Parts: sequence; C-alpha cells; structure tokens
Amino acid sequence: MRLTFTLNGEDIAVDDVSEDMLLIDLLREKLGLMGTKRGCESGTCGVCSVLVDDRLTRACRTPAAKVMGRTVTTIEGLRGPDGTLSDLQASFLARGAVQCGYCTPAMVIAAEALLRRTPRPTRAQIRAGISSVLCRCTGYQQIVDAIELVAEQRAANREGLR
Amino acid sequence: MNKLMYVGNPDLRNVDGIEKVTGEARYVGDMSVPGMLVAKALRSPLPHARITALDVSPALSVPGVVSAITHMDFVDHGNFGWPTKDAYILAYRKVRHVGEPVAVVAAETELAAEAGLAAIIVAYDALPVVSSAAQALDPGAPLVPEVSPTGEGNLCVRHIVRNSDPGPLLNNAPAVLDATYTMPHQEHAYLETEGALAIPEPDGGVTVYANNQSPHINRDTTAQVLGLPPEGVRVIQPPVGGAFGGKDDVVYQTSAQVAKLALLTGRPVRLLLTRAESMAASYKRQAAQIHLTLGAEANGTLRAARAELLIDNGAYAAATPLASWRATVHAAGAYRYQAVHVDTRAVYTNNGYSGAFRGFGNVQAAAAVELAIDELAERLGRDPLAFRLQNCLRPGDHTMTGAELDESVGLAACLEWVRDRSNWTDKRAEYATQPTGVERRRGIGVACYFHGTGLGGEGVDYATATLKVEADHSITLTSGLTDFGQGSRTVFTLLAAEVLGVAMERIRVLRPDTQTALESGPTVASRASLVGGNAVRLTAAKLMQTLELAAADLLGCTREHLVRDGERFIGPDEEPVTFDDVVDHAQALGLQLSAQGRWQIPHIEWDFEHGMGIPYATYVFGAQVAEVEVDLHSGRTRVQKIWAAHDAGTILFPKGALGQMYGGIAQGLGYALMEGFAFENGIPQALDFDRYRIPRATDVPEIEGTYIQTVYPHGPYGAKNLAEPVMVGTAPAIANAYSQAIGRRVRSFPLNSGRTP
Repeated sequence: MRLTFTLNGEDIAVDDVSEDMLLIDLLREKLGLMGTKRGCESGTCGVCSVLVDDRLTRACRTPAAKVMGRTVTTIEGLRGPDGTLSDLQASFLARGAVQCGYCTPAMVIAAEALLRRTPRPTRAQIRAGISSVLCRCTGYQQIVDAIELVAEQRAANREGLR
Repeated sequence: MNKLMYVGNPDLRNVDGIEKVTGEARYVGDMSVPGMLVAKALRSPLPHARITALDVSPALSVPGVVSAITHMDFVDHGNFGWPTKDAYILAYRKVRHVGEPVAVVAAETELAAEAGLAAIIVAYDALPVVSSAAQALDPGAPLVPEVSPTGEGNLCVRHIVRNSDPGPLLNNAPAVLDATYTMPHQEHAYLETEGALAIPEPDGGVTVYANNQSPHINRDTTAQVLGLPPEGVRVIQPPVGGAFGGKDDVVYQTSAQVAKLALLTGRPVRLLLTRAESMAASYKRQAAQIHLTLGAEANGTLRAARAELLIDNGAYAAATPLASWRATVHAAGAYRYQAVHVDTRAVYTNNGYSGAFRGFGNVQAAAAVELAIDELAERLGRDPLAFRLQNCLRPGDHTMTGAELDESVGLAACLEWVRDRSNWTDKRAEYATQPTGVERRRGIGVACYFHGTGLGGEGVDYATATLKVEADHSITLTSGLTDFGQGSRTVFTLLAAEVLGVAMERIRVLRPDTQTALESGPTVASRASLVGGNAVRLTAAKLMQTLELAAADLLGCTREHLVRDGERFIGPDEEPVTFDDVVDHAQALGLQLSAQGRWQIPHIEWDFEHGMGIPYATYVFGAQVAEVEVDLHSGRTRVQKIWAAHDAGTILFPKGALGQMYGGIAQGLGYALMEGFAFENGIPQALDFDRYRIPRATDVPEIEGTYIQTVYPHGPYGAKNLAEPVMVGTAPAIANAYSQAIGRRVRSFPLNSGRTP
C-alpha cells in the first residue's frame, strides 16, 4: 500500500508498505530514522516511543498502516529548523539527564507528550508520565529535574505572552 | 595552584550529550553497510547436555543463507576466557546453560537466517542438571566443566582472608550473631542488547564494531580464536547503550562469531541479540549464600567476624574468580575488628553463567553483612546507625584484612550526613511504636559500605592516554578506557582542558579504537576516572611542557614567568599571545605537539594462598538511609525516599557523579525489591521485561544525595572512584527499613517476591 502521513512536520508518501509492517520498521529501515530505538520485543521497555497525533505511542506495537493521514513526531522532528535543540533536549543536557543515551530519545518524546497534555505537572505526575519508558542508567531523578524545569520555563513564557 | 576551571564545576555537561539528545548517536544496531549479512545464533534450549550431532551443512542449502559456523571454525575450538580459560565462542562437546550459542548462520535477510537455523541438524543427550551451588559440591554431583580448574569437581575457585584468629574471640563474645543470607542473581538489563558488526579488510584482517566495554581485550580474544595476530583485528566501540559490567565476555563471543563469518564470506556481517537471547545468553550477577558469625562486646564494640561465602558462578567462570575475591575481602564490611576469617568457594552450576556486574561481588557481600550488623545491633538493643558509628572505619584504623587506613576516610561523615538529613532519630523512634493493627507500616533503615579502589589484587592497574594538536588547532584525545554511559569521556576531556588551560570544546575524544588508542587493560572496577584520569592528566602535563617551551620562546621569557589568561599566554613584557599563536610557533620550532602518558596505581600486594596482604591502594566509603512503606495486606513495598552520601575524594564532574549515584541506587532498589533472576532446574524463569521487572520512574523515589569530599593524594586532583560502589548500600538499607516496618528480620532478596510478609 501507499502510506501518506505527516512526519516531523512534512507531508510524505511511502510506497510498498506491507500490511504487517510495524511503525518501527517503517521509521528505521525504510526511512532511516535511527533515533527511535529497539529495546525489547514485548512492548515493555518503551525506547521505541514516538508521538502519533500528540499521543505517546510504542512504534514496535503499532502497525505502520495505522498512521495513515496522521501526524508522527520522532526525536528527529523536535529540533528547530536551524538545528537548535528543543527546550526539552537542552534541559536534558543541562541537568545531566543523559548517560548512555539509549532511552534518551524516547524519554524526551515522553516528556513532550506529557507537557502537551499536562502543562504544569507535579514531580509525581512527571514520573507517571515517563513511566512507560525504562532507563537503566539514570535512576530518573535528573530526567524529572529536566522536565520540571521546562514545564516552569514554558509556563513563564505563556505568562510573558499574556 | 590557580583556581580550577573545570574540575568540580557544577555546570559541566556530558561531551556526548548533543548527539544523544538529538537521536544522532549511532549505536551498533543503527549501523548498516551495503552488502551486510544478518547473522543469527542457534542456542541451547537445555541447561546441560552432550551434543551428539551437529551439522550445519543443510543450512547452506536454504535460499539466502551464505555461511554457517560451529566450534570447528575456530582455533582450539574457540576456547577463551580470563582468568579461567573455560568458555567457547560456540559450544564444544557440551552445552552447559540455556542460551549458550551452538552455531551461527549468516544470511541475506533475517528470515533466511531463521530458516537456516531451523535447517541445522543438532541432537542433544540431556545430562543431569546442577541446579544449585549446594548441590554442585555433592561428591556425586554431575561435573559441569570438562576439566575442573581446581581439580575438585565443580569448585571453580577458592579465596580466603586470614587476619588473626577469630575463634576464641567469637567463642566467649557477650553477643554473637550467626546467620545465613541468600542473595539472588541479577540481570544487567542494559536497554541496548549485545551486538557486533564485522567488516573484512583487504589485507586479510577484520574490523569489528562492537558494544563491548574493553576493545583491546576483545581484539586479543577475537584474534586468538581466529588465528590472527592482534593487529589483524581492529575493534572500534560505537556509543554503547549501557553496560554495567555486562558487555565483555558475551560481546567477545558475538564479535568473534561475526568476525569469522565476515572472513569466510568476504562480506560485512552483523549480529544483534534479541532481548530474550540477551537475557538467556548473557552473564549475570552471581547468586551467593553468605554465612556470617559476628561477635561483639556488651557495650557494642565489634570483636571478630567469620564469613563463609558460597557463590554460584554458573556454567563458565567469566569474571567470577575476580568478583568472588572482591566479595571475600569485603565480606565483614567497613568495620574495626580484632580478627577476621573468610572462606569463599565459587562453584559451577547450570544456572546460566555469571560474571562482572556493577559492585562486582561487594553488592552481595555488603548486603549480607549490613543485614547482619542490623540484627546484631537489635540484639544489643542499640540504634543501628549509632552502632555503625561506634564501629565504622576511621582514619588510622585497620580494615578487615588488616590493612591500615591513613587518609581519605570519610565514612563517619557519610553516616552523620544521612542521619541528619533523613531526620533518622525521630523517624526511627516513631516507626518503632506503630500500632499493631495498622496495615500500612513504615520503616527506616541504614547501611554503610567500603569498596576497594580499582583492580587491587586482581591485576596490574594502569591506563594510557594520548593527546595531539591537530592542524586546525583542535586537540584529539585517546584513552584505552572507554565510556558506555558513565561519563568518562567527559571526565577525560575536562582533565585535559584543566591541565592545558584550554576550552573543553577544543578537545575531541576519539572513538575507542584499538588502532589509535593504547592498551589500558579492561574498563572495569570504576577505574576510568582515577587510573584513566591520571593517565590523561600526565599526558596533558607533557603536552603542556612543549607548549610552554614554545610560548616562552615566543614571549622571550622563561617557562616559569608565563601566566595564563584564559587560553592566552602572557609573558612579563610582551602582549599576550593566543593558544593558536603558540601552536604555530611550536611547529615553526619543529616541536612535536603530541604526547602519551601512562599511570599505574601505587603498588599493592595480596597473597592469595595465605589470605593476607594489602588488597587495594585505597577505599571509597558511603552510607545510605532508606524509608519504606509496606502494605501488609498486599505485601507491596514502596520506597518513600533515599538519602545517600559517598566519599569518592574530589568530585571531577558533579552532574555526572550525581547521575551515577542516582542510577546506582535505582539498580540497588531493583535488586532489593523486584529483580532476582531465577532459575528452576537450570531454566531461566524470565526472558522479558514483563516477567523480569526493573524499576520504572514510578518505582524510584526522590533521592537526596551528596558527595563527602576527601582528598586522595594519588588521584587526579584528589579524586577516587564511584560508579560501582554507589549502588552497594541501597539494597541492605531498604531491607533494613523493611525489617523495621514488618517487625521481622529478612535474610534474602527480592522482598517483593509475591509473598505477603
């Protein structure tokens, strides 16, 4: 089938997408977007998480055909057009939230999903919001710090605009 | 000394951070090259069996299959392993654990590789299974190794400590605790599974991209089993998605397999383990049964200790002979004793296999002794934290092996910090008087620890680094020690920048590559910052001397008169010159702007036969307090908060150091509460993250942590080490809190095992 959807802000069409192709294989093997990782085969680790219409979605559990006509955002889509880091990416870096980096793309995506849904989360809500993505390195604390900081920054920016 | 620019600067960021937050970092699983074949391994479904038939030729008739290998394709059947050479790249004669690789197929596609595996003719004759360490020592037990390394059946290794005679001191001690503690296996559960990509080279050699910890050891192992000289194999380490001690032996196996297939086919070959394969085929933290006898005076002063450790190393030794030695020389904990004896046996079983895992034997040893110290304090009617402060090691004391501590001992300060920050005294008293009817019960617990620095008696502890100023005035740095997430590339960069007085951005750490980096031993034992860091510091000092000669010449003064202003050099009279000017002038003078340096840890000596000596050059120390809530009805335990203090000398990279602490604590929490990798009759009981649960963000509490900064005179700017020991205190602190909450002592992990307390 021919699959049309919006990927990282661009309308694209992909030919020869089979019925049983998974979103992760579409992104990694067909489109070469390697920021979305593989970590398990059981949909448990969450390192393949992407946004589908603002919803946190495991690409290893989602048929590619399901994103027809929808909007998909991967880690590659979060940087500004000039290559600047997104506020979350910069905050992860500044707060020491990155160690081996393998879960980092999915964590940043999970944080983005959370803040779109819950702009001013408590630390407990941040933990719940990223709990579908496993990290074995960081103990999560600096990840929570990084997300909390961005929530505050975004709120301050909204105040400033008012 | 001038004010430090980078050492200890809280604003420092991970030098690899940008490529990781953007998703641009290319791990081995993200690499593919044209013409690349996919390799898949046939693995043993049985824990112990003789291989009665093995024929891979039918696989070669499967469309898409290009090659297939077995033990016969390697020199000496692919026999490898250090310090005990008992393992095989592919199973030889027997399989000894579930998941052991037997054959590997390379094919055009994954489906073809799977079909090739299915076509292999293999037959097994099942052998009786050794399913526990205790059973392994039965005189009639089946023999797991083909040749016993000790000549004593399944006994893999024995270690002892003999420090005076604890017998008489224990016999008439006013208070004695005698108890046995059972610690389970633990899975590393790095989120990136093991993998390697091999590319054959025109000269008959092979290049391997592998997510290993120690590329030089991988090179030597792979070259040896391929029958190539070491320079015939080049190992490059891409970014590694977590390791924690777990990516050595199993990745060497994988690397040798793909290297052989690449040489046979003349094409690139990649093998990535699935999660289930990784869980079955990778080595684990050793399970251990630890029998402790501790004796104390009525006033609480510890007298003597005796420990017997029985360690399950599974089917192959891997790093267990070394890890079990570390457990042995830490078994009585960070306390003053008059006498200590320890007897450790590590034995072969068919429970997977075990090797290096963060903490390296001390996680199990410290957990047991910290539960025991709590029990002894309770018997004496003492507060467990005050009891530890009464007996803990301080400057001038002797450790359990008799080694004198002279400097950099911050243990008491760590205990005091966690006591004060956690409001220990009030909470301990409050939770001791909870009404019996309350279903949700709270407890607070403490543990403290010491951890020998570097390899100690395990081997020669050195590292080497190089620095080179490039044509564009940037500086390239190599180290034989590597970064798999713990931050050593950032530490090396900041140390070089500090000594050279340049911006960190000027320095680029090359990818670990056996062709450019110099051999430095394995990246283990939390030794990168201390040993690798000192090598970088010395290398930078050498390069600095050359730069200063050029600067002095340019400014018409002596080296001693040079002053720095940022990167610029200033002489007594002249205008300041830039770093680039100095580099250009050095080149005009014909000076070579590159350097290499080596550093080795101060001499230590351990007599393995007599169990005496100095096991380590120095120690790091720490203490943790955990507060828990236990639901008596469901049995569910939640850790409410953890306070942690660790003495690692000077802290070089503060955000990275705190990240190591938080991450280590989360792994310790998993070990205490939920992990416990179980085998039933040699069969692993969990091969996915649904059944083997590791902590999620909602399982880990807020952590309040600090570093108590002492100064270790031999360390780079006074630094010691931290990556492993920061997890050592967590599990026993949680278990001690749990014991207070439920009003009963526990002696095994995991606590959340589905049973109600």
